[in-house]
Amino acid sequence: MTAAIASRLGGIRWTHPRTVGIFGILLGATAFWLALPPLAARTAVLPIAIGILAVAAGIWTYARDERRVGGGAVAAGLLGIAFGVLATRSSSAHLDQVVVWSALGAATLRYATPLIYAAIGGLFCERSGVINVALEGMLLTGAFFGIWGAIWAQSWAGSAAWLVGVGAAALAGMVLATVHAIWSIHLKVDQIISGFALNFLALGITGYLFVDKYGDTGTPGDVPGIPDVHIHFLQNWYFIGPIIGQLNLMIWLSFVLLVGTYIFVFRTPYGLRLRSVGEHPRAADTVGISVYKIRYIAVISSGGIAAMGGAYLSIGFVHSFNENMTSGTGFIGLAALIFGKWRPFPTWGATLLFGFSSALADRLPSAYGNQWGTLFQALPYLLTLIAVAGVIGRSIGPAASGRPYDKQ
Amino acid sequence: MSDELKGEDALAPPSPEIPQPSQQFPSRFGGLKGAIGPLLTTILAFLMGGLVVLFTGKDPIKVYKAIFNGTGLNWFFHVGSHSARIPFGTAHMWFPWDTASIAAQNLQQTLLLTTPIILTALAVAFAFRCGMFNIGGQGQYLAGTIFAVWIGSSFNGMSPWLHVILCLVVGTLAGAVLAGIAGFLKATVGAHEVISTIMLNWIAIWVGSYLFGQGGPLQGSQKSIPISNDIVEGAKLPVFWGLKLLQGLSIGIFIALAILIVYWIIINRTTLGYEVRAVGFNPEAARYGGISVARNYFLAMAISGAFAGLAGAVDITGWEYRIGQNDILVNQIGFIGLAAALLGRNTAVGVGFASLLFGALINGTSGRQLDPSVFRPDLANNLTTIIQGLVILFVGLNLGGFWVWLKRKRRT
Amino acid sequence: MSSTAPLLELRGITKRFPGVLANDNVNFDLRRGEVHALLGENGAGKSTLMNILYGLYTPDEGQILLDGKPIELGSTKAAIEHGIGMVHQHFMLIPVMTVAENIVLAIEPRHAGFLLDYDAAQKRVRELSERYGLLVDPNARIDRTSVGQQQRVEILKALYRGAEILILDEPTAVLTPQEATELFEIIRSLTDQGKSIIFISHKLNEVLEVADRITTLRRGVVIDTVAAAGATEEGLARMMVGREVLLRVDKKPASPAEPLLQVENLSVIDDRGLETVRDVSFVVRAGEILGLAGVDANGQSELIDAIAGLRHVRSGRIVVDGKDMTHANAKHTLDAGVGHIPEDRHRRGLVLPFSLTENLALHAYRAAPNSRHGFLSLRAMVARARKLLQEFDVRGGTPSTPAGALSGGNQQKVVLAREIDGDPKVLIAAQPTRGLDVGAIEFVHRRLVEQRDAGRAVLLVSLELEEILSLSDRVLVIYEGRIVGEFPPTATEEELGFAMTGGTHGKEAA
Repeated sequence: MTAAIASRLGGIRWTHPRTVGIFGILLGATAFWLALPPLAARTAVLPIAIGILAVAAGIWTYARDERRVGGGAVAAGLLGIAFGVLATRSSSAHLDQVVVWSALGAATLRYATPLIYAAIGGLFCERSGVINVALEGMLLTGAFFGIWGAIWAQSWAGSAAWLVGVGAAALAGMVLATVHAIWSIHLKVDQIISGFALNFLALGITGYLFVDKYGDTGTPGDVPGIPDVHIHFLQNWYFIGPIIGQLNLMIWLSFVLLVGTYIFVFRTPYGLRLRSVGEHPRAADTVGISVYKIRYIAVISSGGIAAMGGAYLSIGFVHSFNENMTSGTGFIGLAALIFGKWRPFPTWGATLLFGFSSALADRLPSAYGNQWGTLFQALPYLLTLIAVAGVIGRSIGPAASGRPYDKQ
Repeated sequence: MSDELKGEDALAPPSPEIPQPSQQFPSRFGGLKGAIGPLLTTILAFLMGGLVVLFTGKDPIKVYKAIFNGTGLNWFFHVGSHSARIPFGTAHMWFPWDTASIAAQNLQQTLLLTTPIILTALAVAFAFRCGMFNIGGQGQYLAGTIFAVWIGSSFNGMSPWLHVILCLVVGTLAGAVLAGIAGFLKATVGAHEVISTIMLNWIAIWVGSYLFGQGGPLQGSQKSIPISNDIVEGAKLPVFWGLKLLQGLSIGIFIALAILIVYWIIINRTTLGYEVRAVGFNPEAARYGGISVARNYFLAMAISGAFAGLAGAVDITGWEYRIGQNDILVNQIGFIGLAAALLGRNTAVGVGFASLLFGALINGTSGRQLDPSVFRPDLANNLTTIIQGLVILFVGLNLGGFWVWLKRKRRT
Repeated sequence: MSSTAPLLELRGITKRFPGVLANDNVNFDLRRGEVHALLGENGAGKSTLMNILYGLYTPDEGQILLDGKPIELGSTKAAIEHGIGMVHQHFMLIPVMTVAENIVLAIEPRHAGFLLDYDAAQKRVRELSERYGLLVDPNARIDRTSVGQQQRVEILKALYRGAEILILDEPTAVLTPQEATELFEIIRSLTDQGKSIIFISHKLNEVLEVADRITTLRRGVVIDTVAAAGATEEGLARMMVGREVLLRVDKKPASPAEPLLQVENLSVIDDRGLETVRDVSFVVRAGEILGLAGVDANGQSELIDAIAGLRHVRSGRIVVDGKDMTHANAKHTLDAGVGHIPEDRHRRGLVLPFSLTENLALHAYRAAPNSRHGFLSLRAMVARARKLLQEFDVRGGTPSTPAGALSGGNQQKVVLAREIDGDPKVLIAAQPTRGLDVGAIEFVHRRLVEQRDAGRAVLLVSLELEEILSLSDRVLVIYEGRIVGEFPPTATEEELGFAMTGGTHGKEAA
């Protein structure tokens, strides 16, 4: 393992455009960070200067044909200047109130987790060549059936009822995904239409069942939630403690999921076949791989995984359910997947970025007023739009994505 | 000879193009035959919705009846001899229907809702005709409402006609610009319009929430509520049926119907519509005919957004008169338009009927109309969403073609 | 060397498709360790035969015997199990994956039963590659390798699965001459190690160089099987192209006037980055038909696309009636008076769901009387359509019928009508009679001659030598992107066929 890391580090070419570009992105982030506590530089010159360096690095990289990274560095530089200057113009009292890194860190992880589940679910589906815009619906389905299952199991499972909840959520997600699979793979209906239809179905069905069962009273307040994992010796450490010391089990599971997904998709034969089906199904067919079978498995699993993220939301985070409680989270997950170019770890980075944005949006109102928090919610979508426009453009993913396969 | 080559063509690698939405929508069967598919789809969707109601222990027939009564469509069935007031005047005349009955008021509400649905559906339909998926109707609608409210609540003292027209025009342009961004990206870098419009939707929603939220720059004078100012009297569309104070029906419905005709004319009678359709059916052949595919992608998206933006402006000037932050987050009209466009197979007539259906459904299930003892309104809302989802799900199955195939098989 | 008992035998293979007898009682055998070439033009039936052998089609009649025993090949899996491997003309490789990943796909070596043992895969690929002299880098990504290397990967793929019989489908179509020579060495190395190869081609010189025996197919029928030693290019050309009844069109002798289309030193790159049109120059005058003969995919499509403004020109000039149109787009080119009958009427010539009226107006819709101020004048369009449909004897529909409902011949008439009605100065006809019946063919031919007599410059591109010879006033032959010869219309089909397949009378290939 250390050998692998060492060889990766040793393999970095420090003057290669790509490295410079990544460095530029980091510079852009630094430009912003410098203006925040604990460093809290008060002069706007510093973020501007570093931001300009970032933009310069980005342009240099872009000109050497590493367009994606270069564009990213330019964007990071500009954003860093903008936010850095904004931060220097705000009072340091406000800054201290909002930017409590430990709280932000913990909140980031909490917000990022449903995104991770949704995005990873989407990853499996799209890697097999089936577009999945129904992540929102799968997430919502998991949220409702998760808590419903936990409530139902409360009487006989007691405090372990959350296990039943998670199981029920995954099952419900898989059922929803099965519809998507049949429609997309066998009936060859347009995958975007089928995905959107399922979003509405999920919204309507979960809303309907919720109102029918819990309409007047809401979900009971004593539902056994997914437990937090308390790491006692860490909990009181200065900075790490509040962040990692008591994360929910599902959050830890999401890390396992990420690593597992990476290994599965890129280090096993099954992952190789999955990717081949998504890139060039006919080539896979000619070597005897069953395109239909792999796509079915991928789509149905994606439903189960994404739904588990929803279960985390309802029985791990908020401990209740409300109509349309996901409210676009699934789409942020899709955005993160696209931003991360369908690879687990860059996607994770994107979910952390978006989670951070949500966490910040959560804390901003306390110092700056409600409206800024609201505006911040648009940031993940704006970032993804820029990524799609300038940086990803035409090659949106596995080459065969979205086209039904005709076995001849 | 040409079949010989088929074997080789079959082995050619797939070209890395962006997947186009299925071209089966504009109907091969015109006229009445073309209505079979949508009819079957609707029936199937309502049937399954009824099953959901049944499984949760209620009587679907009673529920559907109650919803129907709430739509006001039953107004047409009660013909009699009544006296109606001529709009915008005081004189009365004979009219076969009672224009002040409960059913009449219900119908007003249905038509009020049908108005924006027609327009957002046209937005989706127009883009579809060019082979593109405009999912951004919701955001474009919002852009229209935002600008309409802003213009409407400013410029106190402007001449009424000018003010209203200005609101409508600016709202339309706002929607066009928003969609135009997605169209531009598609035309230049080839960015998939589904993703860019979804992102733009949410950006519009959050920017709108920010603008009208507490502390937002466009928040109205009542600082405790996250609502905009009302638009001035002069910026409101005239109401011709019912009372303005009670959400009567404005002339917005006529605007929508007029735009329906405009849509038909553009698509079928102009050179632009010709190009749009050619690109939608076969971009390659269009290119060979000298048509600029990129330019049409951009224009089609922009025009599409214009329709949705107009929907927002008409709603504001027609009956909403203000926006609240809550409305922005909850509104779904863009997506209802999506369902209506798909059900109506992207044709003018189809969109008209499908929009009426959805308008009626939403009205019939709303809190205002539905008797809670029969069926809770919030249950009914969700039932509408379920039916919406089912409609979209079944539309893709091309039930019309299936029906024709079935009939043919039975004959042999 | 090859033994005498055949390893593989195809007896009496017959395969029908709707309207076409693709293989008619074909007998073919392959000896162990030999290279047996299958020669024929496009449409001769080579691909169908090989698709049957690879399990993609089942024959209507006939038997396949392997080592004397009859076998059933219902799927590609069955074919692979019997040791038959195929290298398609269009590679079945996944661009974003490495060479090793592509080769081991579906039968990957494993580590701990669950993980992909990439090192083992690499090792095995290297072993195979060294054994057969197919040098590849196992870790290279396919989309970063050359076409020659990709082909080697495809061969290795088949060998990895234990192929004893290799079918190579037009392998040199995508290679440079240098890469082709390397391929021949690889083939020799493979046969030295006991593999047997079926080499499909239409290129005479290569076939003579690499094969032990040559079987010629024409129109689904085996003409003859000969040993390569002692065969001549002329003899093979005669077998491939044959002597048929010529449908000569009655025409007056041409009186060519001023040049309307001048192509000078044109070079065009195709989508893969290969130079498919190499330094082409020619002139087409008013009142003449210039025929461009050549086997499919030798640069004709890209040449036409470039002239029509649909493809970027890398270097050279295109002049239409004195105006430089080198970098003009499709619309400007059409406006300048270049009519184009595209080779694929379904994908490029017609919008099938559009009505005949709308299709006929595909270029003319922009101007009066078909439209005014952006509004279509339907009455004018329909009247025009009615006139054209009658003039061009289009049957099977009225002006409002969708184009997809017409037969192929009538569809082509619609395309013709549209282009000719545009009153072009230059008319490009690409495979204008592909897939048409005799009556429609005759009609199209007559119209093209009419256009010539009316003073247009007609550029006819066709795979049918008959058609070229009967219509053209001059004939050019294109081979591998270059003009390799000019012939009068009195030339024989053998002479043309010879030039079309790279025949050089013993001289060095260009």
